Amino acid sequence: MTVAAGIGYALLALGPSLSLFVAAISQKPFLILTVLSSTLLWLMSLIVLAGVWRAFLPFKTTPSSSAWLPYSILILSSVVFQEGLRVLFWRIYKKLEDILDAFADRVSKPRLFLTDKMQIALAGGMGHGVAHAVFFCLSLLTPAFGPATFYVEKCSQMPFFLVSSMIALAFVTIHTFSMVIAFNGYAEGNRVDQLIVPVVHLVAGMLTLVNLSSGGCIIGIPLLYCMALFTLLHCGKMVWKRLADSQNR
Amino acid sequence: MEDGGGGSILESIGSEIIGVMSPVSICMFLVVLLVYSLTNTSASSAVRTAANLVYLESPTDTPAEKLEGALLNALVFVILIAFVTFVLVLLYYYRCTSFLKHYTRFSAFFVLSFMGGPIFLTIIQHFNIPVDSVTCFILLFNFSILGVLSVFSNGVPILIRQSYMVALGIVVAAWFTRLPEWTTWVLLVALALYDLVAVLAPGGPLKILVELASRREEELPALVYEARPTTNANISGSRGGSTLAGLLVAGMSQNDGSDHGVELQAVSASPRTNIGNYENEIASESGHMVINMDNDDEEEVEVVREDQEETSPLMAGNSRERSRSPMMYESTDNSSRRLNEVAVAEMMRPRRERDGDEMIEVMNGRGIKLGLGDFVFYSVLVGRAAMYDLMTVYACYLAIISGLGCTLILLAVCRHALPALPISIALGVIFYFLTRLLMEPFVVGTSSNLMMF
Repeated sequence: MTVAAGIGYALLALGPSLSLFVAAISQKPFLILTVLSSTLLWLMSLIVLAGVWRAFLPFKTTPSSSAWLPYSILILSSVVFQEGLRVLFWRIYKKLEDILDAFADRVSKPRLFLTDKMQIALAGGMGHGVAHAVFFCLSLLTPAFGPATFYVEKCSQMPFFLVSSMIALAFVTIHTFSMVIAFNGYAEGNRVDQLIVPVVHLVAGMLTLVNLSSGGCIIGIPLLYCMALFTLLHCGKMVWKRLADSQNR
Repeated sequence: MEDGGGGSILESIGSEIIGVMSPVSICMFLVVLLVYSLTNTSASSAVRTAANLVYLESPTDTPAEKLEGALLNALVFVILIAFVTFVLVLLYYYRCTSFLKHYTRFSAFFVLSFMGGPIFLTIIQHFNIPVDSVTCFILLFNFSILGVLSVFSNGVPILIRQSYMVALGIVVAAWFTRLPEWTTWVLLVALALYDLVAVLAPGGPLKILVELASRREEELPALVYEARPTTNANISGSRGGSTLAGLLVAGMSQNDGSDHGVELQAVSASPRTNIGNYENEIASESGHMVINMDNDDEEEVEVVREDQEETSPLMAGNSRERSRSPMMYESTDNSSRRLNEVAVAEMMRPRRERDGDEMIEVMNGRGIKLGLGDFVFYSVLVGRAAMYDLMTVYACYLAIISGLGCTLILLAVCRHALPALPISIALGVIFYFLTRLLMEPFVVGTSSNLMMF
């Protein structure tokens, strides 16, 4: 295919985030900085994980069934690590929030509103999501701009680029909105919300294991989108409830 | 700007930093695009420039040979730059300012026409754009002339000035990306080290230059990107001086009200035959720099406030500052508020230059400044990364931007000239090699099996 196809794949993966960025983030410099630093954090987590797993890669895939186990361990460890990082991110954010509030008092401006806090969480989540899409999908997209396309053996129904950008879109959604859920859960001390985020992340990661079996992507991708939709709906419900609460108060 | 319930602080914090980061990002993005689309056509014919005078890398050499040659190249290049900078400082010391300005203009013209021209030609050839040579020549000439005029003149809108600075950066960086690989990496590291020495060491040429310029209350006769808050002038009233930098330091100290515009600043001695010797630094360019320097040791932390903060409610409490530099403040304090309001109102108007006493206020009315050298070498790094893979580009971009952010925050804490290259280049190089050696096999290995998490 050509440039059009490449741009199409890129937009498929990142288009929603792009519009979200333009609509909600780009006007507020602080949120842009949040996106950048969260992206950097995710990149560093990826580098650390890669450093740990580099010695074991590539897995010997000749007996094709035996690749399941190492991949599931890999995904498990990565998800655990990244969820730990989310807690770290929350700690940093908490400190930052105090500083911001102190600063707002000093310049006699209102403190952070509830929507502000949610926007910061959204920006942080979007940093994670965008980093995911960029490193797992966009950086492999270079050949798609050239005159050919590429199919993987296990998923011969669609071009590889299409599959990977679709998966990336699902993960962008999950990452972006699960950060909002998680921050809200931490702030409220809501156990369910705190737990739901790692579970969703882990399940989504494990669902990609389905792609290992031949033709699995036909089943795996819809399931993944179910998870993304679930995250989206849960986040929407939660935000709605909190906003309604704060208005009633 | 009324959303979010009427002026939440999120809208104002960090705008200065974004004001510096966005042009850098644009510059890097365009260089990557250029490198990406043109590497096939401009076959890797090794060009001999001043940056590889000694050694011309060929793919058959052993790594040891390449390293040795690259080190030699970098050494020669840095010595050359240091020499040229010393000459320029000397010229500036003896007040040959107009010569320096004309020289800078000439080099801007040279870069835009003679170095930009071939790049335009390659673009035209590559995309088969139907342009006849006369039109092309006239367009190029007009483009260059406007660029030259915009370098130091008053009559050009700041936006054009800024875009020409970015354009200059792109052109020079595009040339630098043609250097061979090893030389590029060693050169970047060497320049970062040089930058560190030249700005921070006592007697470093750039330090001398900045101190001289601030003592004389003049602008540096060099190519510097000014991130003045011009485009946002209409909302700057509500932005009441809350930069992230100001915020960070404000969290630590109660002593605000220093009116100095602390600026990220750069000197670029002009490029000569495919070399730019660009250096950069961050300077406190206000007229009272000497006094500041003396007092810096006594004050542990001081608050940095950018220009607009003078109109903010936090204005009180600069009595301490005033007592430190009585003469300066008596002469400027009364008028500074008014002048800054004028400056805000007239942001879109060209800069006033050389107006004697007004210079202090005018200087206070400016934002962070970043040298063209930073643009160039950040872009060179990213452009070099683009020749490997897109993944390294993203990693390097993030590393450089975060390095720039760290430098800006350090600037807020240190309050004197800081080199902007070292942190960014160090992070960029580290991330490049980490990405290339560790991350890429990992990511490609997992995601080509459609594993993601």
